[in-house]
Amino acid sequence: MATYLEFIQQNEERDGVRFSWNVWPSSRLEATRMVVPLACLFTPLKERPDLPPVQYEPVLCSRPTCKAVLNPLCQVDYRAKLWACNFCFQRNQFPPAYGGISEVNQPAELMPQFSTIEYMIQRGAQSPLIFLYVVDTCLEEDDLQALKESLQMSLSLLPPDALVGLITFGRMVQVHELSCEGISKSYVFRGTKDLTAKQIQDMLGLTKPAMPMQQARPAQPQEHPFVSSRFLQPVHKIDMNLTDLLGELQRDPWPVTQGKRPLRSTGVALSIAVGLLEGTFPNTGARIMLFTGGPPTQGPGMVVGDELKIPIRSWHDIEKDNARFMKKATKHYEMLANRTAANGHCIDIYACALDQTGLLEMKCCANLTGGYMVMGDSFNTSLFKQTFQRIFTKDFNGDFRMAFGATLDVKTSRELKIAGAIGPCVSLNVKGPCVSENELGVGGTSQWKICGLDLTSTLGIYFEVVNQHNAPIPQGGRGAIQFVTHYQHSSTQRRIRVTTIARNWADAQTQLRHIEAAFDQEAAAVLMARLGVFRAESEEGPDVLRWLDRQLIRLCQKFGQYNKEDPASFRLSDSFSLYPQFMFHLRRSPFLQVFNNSPDESSYYRHHFARQDLTQSLIMIQPILYSYSFHGPPEPVLLDSSSILADKILLMDTFFQIVIYLGETIAQWRKAGYQDMPEYENFKHLLQAPLDDAQEILQARFPMPRYINTEHGGSQARFLLSKVNPSQTHNNLYAWGQC
Amino acid sequence: MTRCPAGQAEVEMAELYVKPGNKERGWNDPPQFSYGLQTQAGGPRRTLLTKRVAAPQDGSPRVPASETSPGPPPMGPLPPSSNPTSPPVGSGPASGVEPTSFPVESEPLMEDVLRPLEQALEDCRGHTKKQVCDDISRRLALLQERWAGGKLSIPVKKRMALLVQELSTHQWDAADDIHRSLMVDHVTEVSQWMVGVKRLIAEKRSLFSEEAADEEKSAATAEENQTIPGFQQAP
Repeated sequence: MATYLEFIQQNEERDGVRFSWNVWPSSRLEATRMVVPLACLFTPLKERPDLPPVQYEPVLCSRPTCKAVLNPLCQVDYRAKLWACNFCFQRNQFPPAYGGISEVNQPAELMPQFSTIEYMIQRGAQSPLIFLYVVDTCLEEDDLQALKESLQMSLSLLPPDALVGLITFGRMVQVHELSCEGISKSYVFRGTKDLTAKQIQDMLGLTKPAMPMQQARPAQPQEHPFVSSRFLQPVHKIDMNLTDLLGELQRDPWPVTQGKRPLRSTGVALSIAVGLLEGTFPNTGARIMLFTGGPPTQGPGMVVGDELKIPIRSWHDIEKDNARFMKKATKHYEMLANRTAANGHCIDIYACALDQTGLLEMKCCANLTGGYMVMGDSFNTSLFKQTFQRIFTKDFNGDFRMAFGATLDVKTSRELKIAGAIGPCVSLNVKGPCVSENELGVGGTSQWKICGLDLTSTLGIYFEVVNQHNAPIPQGGRGAIQFVTHYQHSSTQRRIRVTTIARNWADAQTQLRHIEAAFDQEAAAVLMARLGVFRAESEEGPDVLRWLDRQLIRLCQKFGQYNKEDPASFRLSDSFSLYPQFMFHLRRSPFLQVFNNSPDESSYYRHHFARQDLTQSLIMIQPILYSYSFHGPPEPVLLDSSSILADKILLMDTFFQIVIYLGETIAQWRKAGYQDMPEYENFKHLLQAPLDDAQEILQARFPMPRYINTEHGGSQARFLLSKVNPSQTHNNLYAWGQC
Repeated sequence: MTRCPAGQAEVEMAELYVKPGNKERGWNDPPQFSYGLQTQAGGPRRTLLTKRVAAPQDGSPRVPASETSPGPPPMGPLPPSSNPTSPPVGSGPASGVEPTSFPVESEPLMEDVLRPLEQALEDCRGHTKKQVCDDISRRLALLQERWAGGKLSIPVKKRMALLVQELSTHQWDAADDIHRSLMVDHVTEVSQWMVGVKRLIAEKRSLFSEEAADEEKSAATAEENQTIPGFQQAP
């Protein structure tokens, strides 16, 4: 239905939400029969160039267990200056500043077009952003040089008053004291022994000596936020010295004998970084950026030994329980990740190596804190250099697209409860009336913490309808959900973004058609996929696929029109027509199929899948395929082998790769050089068209995709062939959907 | 925006280029976009290619609509694209660095760049710590050495000339942006000394705003002294 598509799109643009169902089944029983849970993809900081923040703080409901924010759904008595909370029905007095409001003079937060609104917090100190570089020096010369240059370049991209620090590691871990005068000092730690936070802080001289008894001052382990520490200095002060320090970095001096890997103490290096920030700047926006060129081979968190003849674990090893270091290493990094998230900081991992680097064990560091994971072959590649540059991209206002220290608080009207969230977050363990006992994803809470996020970070939030069967539809006919995100903007100012939405309830027994028409198959596919990938972390692969297949069958049984015993009669309405395709491609995707990927690669793909917005997530599930030809403008075509034709050029976008594929005839013409002849200028334009479209994508996407330009018969064509549905094989099977 | 009388168009074009990726070190390494192209792409991202096609529900085979022909490609104009994209001046991802084919212009003189920078440093000497000035001075010397030794490429020299122009007309943000573009596009050539230029821009900017604030203050007091006619100032 065209109108629902518009409705869905408008809501996404304004509020950053996509719901699986836009008309809600009014009872718990009926909701479970819908198969796809009631859930939404929510982008807390959805880019809104047209929404300037208001310069005051939000008005809250006075009930201590509610505290919902004043919003357009609230009933207002302008004469008595009272408002009724739409979640708990408490009547609240407007604060004195609202004395002048009336029907014709409404505050912005009551107007329907401000269902999403942002407030600025005026009070409180604004602490600077912090960037702590943790750099592996066990790299080849070219790689280290390229990395050094990228880090020097980044000093020009950082805001001048941001704090920056440097820790380098190899066999030992060095914490560099940044000073403007003369000789640079550093504190050296052994890479074999883990230290507690307190030990690290003591050894770095971060804890103040105990106060004498008479003073009775409370112990202040953290310094005043504006005071920089010796290890974290403002860019504008330290950039020249740090540029020199980076320029002078050498490869790890410890010799590596034949047949051995370098001793890399990543686990201790990260531990020291976390402890350093914990002791100096807790609860303020900070990024720990880990740059590593190989797996940790020493100390806590080691992922493989130093003998090259013993390879790093593969999926096969993990299945056979033959991954010696995995459990212990994962535990070490999980401990670090949880501590980091509790401190409000985030950890990025930039791993560039030809072999695996331990992303499987370290992934929680990025996933729990909202940090980035970038995987490349070498620091001396365009993929790393440009992906790294793009972290510092600015938005339309000239601010960074990154934000820090977010807490997301979700409130629901009484008929709904919160089952959980899936995305780059940790639970804040806030219980309350909105929290369901049935968990989907990270549950048992109505609040989560997202320490690192940007304008596209998206969480999947899952709900449960709790109304009893046959209970009447709630008065007003609509259910409501409010998302309140407190965060530190990249300008260091604290802000609060509030999104309040409502949708109609409907009785599934009499109004199933309405509910059906308002189904968002794209959102449903991504939400189910996130559930599947979440399960895949703890369940066996085949079990997850079986679960996914079962859900698809149940959905088709419920919403398909068919005559029994007649497969050809099966039909799905328009709002479901793409869903089976999505599920088909999802079950073949690298998110659920680990075959042909290393554990690190699977972790990398899953990391990006669990945080992208709907459009990008869908590209990952079912790659986009466009066909270019002389017969008309470029058009989308089925992701099927029947779309591969000799006189067409295909552009495929899988999110991680951009593939341009020339059909057989096109390739022959190109080889013959027709594009260079003036009479065949249209052929030259045809060849150029997909290149231009590819460039649009390559110029903007984070992380930067790989770029494959191939043709019929080329070895790189396998990237396309492995993705399309093989409906035409040498056996000439024609039936669609046979897998 | 940059205001360079001669050669501006050429310099701007040089800033929008695409180089191939490093195929030796990274398989299928994507092309490298210049700073100018990347900042152009900023802002709300428009994902143009997002449509999908539903599979036919009756399970019928998709018959290929066209046939291969062994002859040459058809002639005549191409049907209009539904996604009109204007290619950047330069080349698409598959080609290499495009040399700018403009009438040969004389490259900037080293003196024209170094002298204003050294002058700017002198201006800052009263306002900035000695150590910082010495550090900047050291790096300017390094720049001079590199330039004189023929170790800098022409795009770097041209953009430095532009930077110096912006600096002398107090366009701090523009000068800063040029320094950034040089750090992104030519980091190997410039990293050692560019941070000194960056600091110089920052110091000049803060000196300028201090001087402007002082002038305002003295103008305000001068006004005060003039408001009461006939009032004699105490000697």
